[in-house]
Amino acid sequence: MEIIMTIINGLSIGGTYAMIALGYTMVYGIAKMLNFAHGDIIMVGGYTIVLFFPISPIIGVIASVIFCVTVGIVVEKSAYKPLRGASPLAVLITAIGVSKLLQSSAQIFLGSEPRGITFNFGNIQIGSVSISVLTLITILCSVAVMVALTLFVKYTKTGRAMIAVSEDRGAAQLMGINVNFIIMITFIIGSALAAIAGVFLVFKVQDVGTTFGAMPGIKAFAAAVIGGIGSIPGAMVGGLVLGFIEAICGMVPALSPYTDAIEFAILIIVLLVKPTGFLGKKRREKV
Amino acid sequence: MKKSLKSFTKHYLNYSVIGAILIVFSIISLVSPMKTSMVFLFQQITVAVIMALSLSLVVGFLGELSLGHAGFMSIGAYLGGKIALVIIEAGDLKSSNILVFIVAVLVGAACAALCGFIVGFAALRLRGDYLAIVTLAFGEIVRVIFTHSDPESFGGALGLKSPSFGMKETFVLVIIGILLILFTLFVIQNLLRSKAGRAITAIRDNEIAAKATGINVTKHKLMVFVISAAFAGVAGVLFSYANSPVKADTFDYNYSIEILVMVVLGGMGSINGSIISAVLITVLNNRLTTILTGDNAVFKDLFYAVILILIVIYNNAPGLKGFREKYNLKNFMNKILKKKHDPSEITNDAARWDVVPTKIEMNEVLSTDIVVDKVGRGDDSADIRERGGNK
Amino acid sequence: MKKTIIKVLCLVFAVVMVLGCFTACGGGEENYAENNTKIKIGVSGPLTGGAAMYGIAVKNSAQLAVDEINAKGGVDGVMLELVAVDDQHDPTKVSTTYTTLYEGGCQLFLGTVTTAPGIQFKQYALEDEIFYLTPSASGDDIPSSDGGFQMCFTDSNQGTASAKYFNENYSGKKVGIFYKADDDYSVGIKNNFVAGLNSSFGNVVEASFTGEASQFDSQITLLKDCDVIFMPIYYTPASQFMKQGASKVKASAVYFGCDGFDGIDAVEGFDINSIKQEVSYLSHFDSTSTTGPAADYINAYKAKYPDAPLNQFGAAAYDCVYAMVAALESSDEEITATMSAQDFAEILKAEFTSDDFVFHGVTGECVNGQKSTITWNEDGTVNKRAVKYVVKQKS
Repeated sequence: MEIIMTIINGLSIGGTYAMIALGYTMVYGIAKMLNFAHGDIIMVGGYTIVLFFPISPIIGVIASVIFCVTVGIVVEKSAYKPLRGASPLAVLITAIGVSKLLQSSAQIFLGSEPRGITFNFGNIQIGSVSISVLTLITILCSVAVMVALTLFVKYTKTGRAMIAVSEDRGAAQLMGINVNFIIMITFIIGSALAAIAGVFLVFKVQDVGTTFGAMPGIKAFAAAVIGGIGSIPGAMVGGLVLGFIEAICGMVPALSPYTDAIEFAILIIVLLVKPTGFLGKKRREKV
Repeated sequence: MKKSLKSFTKHYLNYSVIGAILIVFSIISLVSPMKTSMVFLFQQITVAVIMALSLSLVVGFLGELSLGHAGFMSIGAYLGGKIALVIIEAGDLKSSNILVFIVAVLVGAACAALCGFIVGFAALRLRGDYLAIVTLAFGEIVRVIFTHSDPESFGGALGLKSPSFGMKETFVLVIIGILLILFTLFVIQNLLRSKAGRAITAIRDNEIAAKATGINVTKHKLMVFVISAAFAGVAGVLFSYANSPVKADTFDYNYSIEILVMVVLGGMGSINGSIISAVLITVLNNRLTTILTGDNAVFKDLFYAVILILIVIYNNAPGLKGFREKYNLKNFMNKILKKKHDPSEITNDAARWDVVPTKIEMNEVLSTDIVVDKVGRGDDSADIRERGGNK
Repeated sequence: MKKTIIKVLCLVFAVVMVLGCFTACGGGEENYAENNTKIKIGVSGPLTGGAAMYGIAVKNSAQLAVDEINAKGGVDGVMLELVAVDDQHDPTKVSTTYTTLYEGGCQLFLGTVTTAPGIQFKQYALEDEIFYLTPSASGDDIPSSDGGFQMCFTDSNQGTASAKYFNENYSGKKVGIFYKADDDYSVGIKNNFVAGLNSSFGNVVEASFTGEASQFDSQITLLKDCDVIFMPIYYTPASQFMKQGASKVKASAVYFGCDGFDGIDAVEGFDINSIKQEVSYLSHFDSTSTTGPAADYINAYKAKYPDAPLNQFGAAAYDCVYAMVAALESSDEEITATMSAQDFAEILKAEFTSDDFVFHGVTGECVNGQKSTITWNEDGTVNKRAVKYVVKQKS
């Protein structure tokens, strides 16, 4: 029974990480940048749902997605777009700046005390196992999001344009693809996923503070790398791997304080054995 | 005569400036003590400069992104501080004993260098962002382990109550710190000017080509990581003597990133740039804390972030090239010094080793494939790049 | 060309630094307060970051006390002024915050809000021979007979007091502990608590978390069968644990906290009645009081800072300011705004350690609407009565 609980917990944590990791991986693959501010978009989403929750949960979720997408677009246009074509490190530093900016803005506008909601989804009993409805919704939702995203990238025109931009930005532009538009779409999708992940995290944790997104953001980055950064299925695999590690560590009292260290240690081992992650592409280096 | 002056300014200017500061600082400290706040600021600057110098070796000259440099510093601070405590306790010495400090520096540097060696091995197999996340992971692992350490050994969550020179004697620490900066500068600058240094920059510019010309990539990469980690360890011991307790949480990835910011803003691959930006960023942080008190404290991070974003955009945005060329420090200085623009002067000396821009590339492409490539162990075997996977 | 620029830049830089040094030169034992027109009170606390709510409560409450005292005419006719600086709960920031306060002319010090920075603050304070009365840095290392005093209970006192209560009231029950492994406050109380329990308790289940962790599945699984769960943590993670464990932990269980629990029923978005278990804590202040001196403070605070965090940290800071003022007023020395911090330290130390100095404040046990009675020991620790507050009965 404990094993089933661990698996379900792992799926639920992993699903959340996977959704954040998807945003990382897509922005990375297309805009060629490490978006360190991605975790803080989760925080924005978390605050929005907490503020709008009293009105209606559904409105809260929608508002959270809309607001995160708006923040994502504004950040992209004002901080990242001027640096298109500049060194990736410059963009990385800007992303760090944006991350600090979002955190301190949250404190200025919303205060220092964490905001919370109380909402119990209840449990359902399957055999001898009692599973929280929230966990089930998280798992279902993350699976649905991943399937939809894979189909979108594979079969729609915009999705294929994304892959084209990712492969070769210059050539894609010559083929008539609006690169700026594609990058913006990427940020919109990434921010929307972060918003949904933020909503699930808030429902689970029921509290949100200014550094709410920092650790999930880093973990999701790790998940994206374990899976092979740039790979959409890889992000899901990486997220689930981290989710399971976290669930298993949580079950063993001796390990639980070291959960983070164990996750990162496994990340290092995976990368040393498979330097491009589980599903990453090995590219030929040109001389 | 003119030539020798030029060669002097090229090779020894930074030594002379730092040396001058050292002498002036020592004289002032001995004649009439400075304000404690100034001494503390100098002390923070010395640590930041050593950290920036050591990181610039990895990021600026080897061209590898490291997000866990604070981890090495943490190792130095904890192990160096601990060994100093043990010696002081065993020998019933004063905590401001210089010999103990030297032993602590050596031990801290050695332990950090050992970790640098291990992380360096990862660098042999991994590139770019994969290495970046491994270094970040290393830093976080060190943090978690020290946080959960046994309270008897490393202070656990409370932090290690490291030895200290005392507030009134912090100026000694600053003098030692400046001496250590000079030593770091000496080692790094000479390393980079040597054959090994040229090999390191060659690896940065093109690893495969460097390998083809017979450069031992393994040796040089490990060398860079070991040296860089050792100096981070030295900075850690310095830090551990200045701050008590030393908490593992201080050395989180945010701190690593702050040092990275110093290196990047200083200009990748520029030693003097790293020093200047380390000084300026430390002063900025200090001023913001001092000026923004009470209700205004919340604006500190906001100002810092806005300043950071604006500087990066000004320095790097391709669209601002014209603006940058018109309004920059150089033109401003020329205006003040009434110098005329001399078109015959070569502004970018391609032969200089310290101003070559570093390229850290992000090449991974988006894919929806779930088929894993069949790749051999060989490094650049002829694996064929699959395009996206949807044909 | 570029070389010349670098050369010039470096020289300018050097000159600026050298000039900066000369202008910054000051005497060793200078009185930084000589130009003050008011008595400055300094406090270093986390005003940003994860612990900001505690620092902000302290800053606001100290400001409230300062304003009230000024409205009544100050101390011997001299007005007060508060300076609060941000240390982000990081000991390495204290070198900056301490010098900002000390060289900014502060004469009275509230020390730091949290313990880890407080240890560093204590070293500097002892070297400068100044006096501090910390509202909430509860570590055992914080108080000092040389001028470090506390308004809160030390961690060991809290842990021992709780264990004593457990021995008397929960004997033989299954006890669980939920603590924050990287927090000195939490670990300190926990260790003393475990050491103080008698043999009737058998195996105590321990579960811990670190950082700003917020998913407590595994800890809940460990603790769900316990009768009493001792939680030496602050109210935010505690409320998260209770929310997440609402339907998993035994309904008859008791959540038993320390002074960090104060304010748990006021956490936004946490309806304490939505959980079934009993919630109690042993503390010196209840921020939901509706009667007595505590309520007067709470009402004044709420009127002035309607949206700011309110917790026992603030109440302790409020008492700290009043206690220092009371000590200054009861001393025979004449108070001026330009006296040095060391002069103030001497007066305060003499008063706080004297046998007949008794302070009446809002923290501690207030009987019949009277202010509580607080005295200090020679070693800087506080003497006052703690009270068990039942936030919510089991339902």
